[in-house]
Amino acid sequence: MDPSVLIQQFFNALALGGIYALVALGYTMVYGIIELINFAHGDVFMVGAFVAMWVLTVPLGQHGGIKDPFLLIGVLLLVFVVTMIVMGVVGVLIERFAYRRLRNAPRLAPLLTAIGVSFILQNIIQTIFGPSPKTFPKLISSSGRFDLFGASISYLTVFIFVLAIVLLVVLQAFIGRTRLGRAMRSTAQDRDAAQLMGVDINRTIALTFFIGSALAGAGGVVAGLYFGQVQFNLGFSAGLKAFTAAVLGGIGNIPGAALGGFIIGFVEVYAGQFGLARWGEALVFAVLIIVLVFRPSGLLGQALGERA
Amino acid sequence: MHHLRRSSAVMALALLLLSACQSGGSTSPSASAGGSGGGGSKGTIKIGVDLPLSGGEATNGEPTTNGAKLALKDAGGVAGGYTVELDVRDDAVAGVHNPDQGATNAQALVADEAVVGMIGPFNSNVARAQIPITAPAGLLQCSPANTAVDITKKAADGTLLRGDNPVSYVRVATTDDVQGPAMADYMYTKLGAHTIFIVDDTETYGKGLADEFQKKFEALGGTVTDRQGVPNPDGSADYTSILTSAKGANPAAVFYGGVTTTGGAKLRSQMADVGMGDLPFGGGDGIVDGPGSVDGSFVNLAGDAAANSFGSVAAIHDIPNPDAFANSYQAEYTKAPGAYSAPGYACAQVIIAAINAVADQATGMSDLREKVRAYVAEGGNSFDTVLGSLSFDENGDTSQHTISYYKADLNADGGANWVFDSQKDFGQGG
Repeated sequence: MDPSVLIQQFFNALALGGIYALVALGYTMVYGIIELINFAHGDVFMVGAFVAMWVLTVPLGQHGGIKDPFLLIGVLLLVFVVTMIVMGVVGVLIERFAYRRLRNAPRLAPLLTAIGVSFILQNIIQTIFGPSPKTFPKLISSSGRFDLFGASISYLTVFIFVLAIVLLVVLQAFIGRTRLGRAMRSTAQDRDAAQLMGVDINRTIALTFFIGSALAGAGGVVAGLYFGQVQFNLGFSAGLKAFTAAVLGGIGNIPGAALGGFIIGFVEVYAGQFGLARWGEALVFAVLIIVLVFRPSGLLGQALGERA
Repeated sequence: MHHLRRSSAVMALALLLLSACQSGGSTSPSASAGGSGGGGSKGTIKIGVDLPLSGGEATNGEPTTNGAKLALKDAGGVAGGYTVELDVRDDAVAGVHNPDQGATNAQALVADEAVVGMIGPFNSNVARAQIPITAPAGLLQCSPANTAVDITKKAADGTLLRGDNPVSYVRVATTDDVQGPAMADYMYTKLGAHTIFIVDDTETYGKGLADEFQKKFEALGGTVTDRQGVPNPDGSADYTSILTSAKGANPAAVFYGGVTTTGGAKLRSQMADVGMGDLPFGGGDGIVDGPGSVDGSFVNLAGDAAANSFGSVAAIHDIPNPDAFANSYQAEYTKAPGAYSAPGYACAQVIIAAINAVADQATGMSDLREKVRAYVAEGGNSFDTVLGSLSFDENGDTSQHTISYYKADLNADGGANWVFDSQKDFGQGG
């Protein structure tokens, strides 16, 4: 086999994995703090893609690739910031109205609510934009590429990978180094004790939803740029894979979620390379099962003592 | 507090149910009489129509339904002394053709004794779900567009969809054992592509078409560099990895067995992403689905990447009197007919002709339904339709074996669209 093909596939996997990782981060954060499997998270990702598509096509009037590098950077910055803020607010609203009341209810209630929110988001988008797929402007033209050991790599794949890593590092620093991050960690460890120590639980959980949903929004923008089309039911399989990524890496563990995302990207891409495209999803879940058999708390997860 | 929590949970469940209903309940039975009528002294009978009418597939279903409506209008809204109405049902759920919805619609049509015949479906996997329902009931189905081979003939495993029941399903579209080889012929001979990479969507239609294509392409002396099946029911599949893998073998062209909603346009645009954008791209009638101005059509979604794409339609483009049909369609709907408008018209003509022929001998509604079925499916009768004269063989397949070829043209009149290229008659047995 030509090694340049494998290098090419390596970058394909980094891009696909980067998208999964961005979605998985929000999944794992929400689980880490309130132990809710937020099934609506994949749909937040999907709504993010639609918000970005709307921002790009309606107010900005963009429909294809942008050649001017400064304009490209400006437009990208704008669309990422707007989409992440909008989705962050959407995430906070979902938490406020759908989950907060159920915070102390039996587990099944918020889980069902999350599925309900997922349907609601899908139906809202389907009503506004219609059920057929929509084209998403490919701002970063796929003809922009460079050669690496004989493989032709597009700047877009590098951009997606770098963006995912940068956001991961920033998130990790935020949680590890800031007051708000400490509040989040303490809330995750023991909500009542954190409250007694003066942490505003509601605000901290809302913040977690804001960040997680904003990251899913960023994932939505990236997916739009990469696939060039968006569809109202895009969120289901993305959410399922992000959930798998989060569990694979150890749910609640932030670098673990990113690692899980990249592993899934690699499994899918190399399944395609070796003629197993139709087995792609089966292989992903087979890997998940194998990992959970040997490491029940995921690759980077620690055995949870107090509240599992 | 406890009480409050419970009520929230109940509300959430109610919301969930509500939204589930919305996403599933896309059936909207709406009868629409095809004109003034007036001559129907014996009462009202119905012709059922089951096509995908919402979402991305409206580009397929709507022009086909309009063809059927126009035929009924041209017949004065009457047949055999009855007033005839169309009972139009949508088999798309969330914008994609859905076999379960198709089965539900077929059951409803079978249960209504005023329904004496049915036009549809559009998609072969919907036909697979419907034939086991309509065949025992003896309800005649005329499909304007189904092309999968084994819905009328025995499948490879020896099963026959209609079971021991007599033939009740006919189609005016020719089959993929004609369409697939026809496209292979076109790509090998006319486009000069001698090596090919084949992708299918693993569905009844897509895989079947790709199989027939591959057989003929290899028989012509061509080489299939690789073949991949990628299931893509919700549009989330990524083709980058299989394309990168296929690129190594340097195929001269790519063939896709499937429809736009299961990935055709995405595959085409991702070919550009991996540097295969200049290769010719071929497909069947599943990607020849309307102009670029329509959301969700192949040309719309693939955008600039649609250039150099070729597709076939399993129907005659140059119908015997094309201008007359196009003009009367244009006058009624203020737009040009779609690829399957004339076949939709022809199906309605077949059923109306059958009603006219047998209505006087029928003793009741269920007898009329049976006589219509027998007249079309067993009589060996020939029908004078907008597609020309045609008859159905012992399996219900049409006597016409003509394939039309289309090319995606980004600079067509009125914007990017599929433009008719040529047609070829493959005679009996393709």
